[in-house]
Amino acid sequence: MSLATQTPGRRRLMDNPRARVLVLLAPVMMFFIVFNTIPTLWLLGLSFYKYSLTGGVPPEFIGFKNFVGIFNAKNAIWFDLSRTFTFVISGVAFQTLLGAALGFLFWGSRNMPGRRVALTLLFAPMVLTPVATGTFFRFIYDPTFGVLNYLIRAVVETGPIDFLGNPKLAFWAVLAVDCWMWTPFMTLMTLAALGSVPKAELEAAEIDRVPFLRRLTLVIWHHGKFIMMLGILLRTIDSFKTLDLIIPMTKGGPGQNTRLVALELNKQSFESFNMGWSSAYAVLLLLISIAMTSVFIYVLNLRRRKETEG
Amino acid sequence: MAEIVIDHVTKRFGDLAAVDNIDMTFSDGEVACLLGPSGCGKTTLMRILAGLEQPTSGRVLFGGKDVTDLPPRKRNVGMVFQYPVMYPTLSVAENLALPMKYDRALDQSERQRRVDEVLDVLDMRPMARAFIEDLDIGSRQKVAIGRAVARQSEIVLFDEPTTNMGVAAKLQLIHAFKRVTRRLRQTIVYVTHDQTEAMTLADKIALMKAGKILQYDAPHVLYSEPSTAFGGWFMGNPGMNFIPATLQPDGIHAAILAGPIAAPAHLPKGEITIGIRPERVTMSGQAVTGSVPGTLVDQAVGIAGRYLTTVRVGGATVKVNTVGAPPADLGGTVNLMVPHARVMLYVDGVRVAG
Repeated sequence: MSLATQTPGRRRLMDNPRARVLVLLAPVMMFFIVFNTIPTLWLLGLSFYKYSLTGGVPPEFIGFKNFVGIFNAKNAIWFDLSRTFTFVISGVAFQTLLGAALGFLFWGSRNMPGRRVALTLLFAPMVLTPVATGTFFRFIYDPTFGVLNYLIRAVVETGPIDFLGNPKLAFWAVLAVDCWMWTPFMTLMTLAALGSVPKAELEAAEIDRVPFLRRLTLVIWHHGKFIMMLGILLRTIDSFKTLDLIIPMTKGGPGQNTRLVALELNKQSFESFNMGWSSAYAVLLLLISIAMTSVFIYVLNLRRRKETEG
Repeated sequence: MAEIVIDHVTKRFGDLAAVDNIDMTFSDGEVACLLGPSGCGKTTLMRILAGLEQPTSGRVLFGGKDVTDLPPRKRNVGMVFQYPVMYPTLSVAENLALPMKYDRALDQSERQRRVDEVLDVLDMRPMARAFIEDLDIGSRQKVAIGRAVARQSEIVLFDEPTTNMGVAAKLQLIHAFKRVTRRLRQTIVYVTHDQTEAMTLADKIALMKAGKILQYDAPHVLYSEPSTAFGGWFMGNPGMNFIPATLQPDGIHAAILAGPIAAPAHLPKGEITIGIRPERVTMSGQAVTGSVPGTLVDQAVGIAGRYLTTVRVGGATVKVNTVGAPPADLGGTVNLMVPHARVMLYVDGVRVAG
């Protein structure tokens, strides 16, 4: 009662369910608008201007010329995109398969001594800063004093191998680091997916003599697929944006062999300061990301719709 | 022949013995209920039978064959879980047929015949092509029961299959269970904490407490002659009255007894407890030979015209379940008559005579 008499206005506001929703959402909405919506709109606007931070010339409206330029340039976006998609598809596929395999191993070894320690160690790569990971892998890969060369040459007779300097190897060397870092994430998602399978259903399948592979499709995939697909989606989006892992290792080189779209964007905007051009580039990447996400969500919903229709 | 022999089975979880050295045989073609309060080890014992848990020590034999080290899929048992398992991507008929798919001895027509038979027995033929979303929880559990029995394994295990069901679904399931078991004479072990269910379904009930089987008897024997005070208290609603008594040279004396009743000679003299079911005590308004006066302190209307009353006699409190309203108002005097033949004698919670 004393509260009501002290602050009648606020009380009335919070009593109205719609107003309460707005009041509670306001802080996060403010944050979202200031740090997300406005910059995105700004980016969209800037993509129609010719604007360089170093030129000292005021921005000039040039319509779609930035976009046309991106596709007509000598280092056309297509090379970067195809490289990026190779990176994303092979990386995510490998991480999913190996991650799932490890997930099943951990799932099936619940009574193994030292399991907790092994799990903690397994997840260590994922929590490291990508820049740190990239830096220490540059040393591991180093042709003269790197430990990987040392180990290989202890087994095989060969000259020094420059993993990050060799145009044929650099891309795969970088991809391997990405897999080292992110396979645990898929293991985690697999464990979460397996955890969502009802225990009774697994036990019933065991008693009903259902073989393992059939059990996988009949019971496990049915309950775990949503979490698995979510994991793959997150990994795909994240992998598409890979930047900080590669910069300390190759900076996109040798040549352009490890130059993914995010590296090109980073170079054009924060090294060359071509703000208009890189805004257009960023808009294109944003559209691609939205398209990929939509496909995933469509696939997931489609599955669910089919289920409810029976 | 598939009798189940549990040979000195113990299962420990850390310091706790969930199943404590149980030695028991369930006969072929019999419906045995494992009955007991939560945490008494009945589900653990069943999971050991299914092979889902390994006993810490002891053996399990099915029809004379040691299955202790066999995985569940090699034991050839059907099992129904508390959580109704129906494989979501398969129709009802496909669910029923699934376990038979992995039995090479069965040909297609025999599988189909068994599926049809079970569909008929469960009264589910119109739903043969339905999927999980089309069925309520009771029907899903019926599918699970059908799947467990259609393969016609010699042993079928039921782990509290009606726990999550509503009253209507529960009755429907119990009827389905009865029809199925009458049709296929399989050895059945049925775990439940619901005594009504156990009394209805079982040929024999194994009453469990703290990892041990206290008594294994036909339902009516377990009810009227519980071998432990726990059994008397657990079975029945309300449970048996336990009243302190003394054993003297001329017989047993207690507040609710008009005169001493004879006791077997081998019993030591002194403190003893007598047990009597509330519905065995009769109540009247007038004092008659052999009756004891008491004060009516509480009454409640029970089912089927029965009244549940509490009567204080001397220092003892007796629950009496009578037909018709009690002959006095609350606080009034009623006369209780205890038939001597129905009195059970307990020392330290174990029945010694009666």
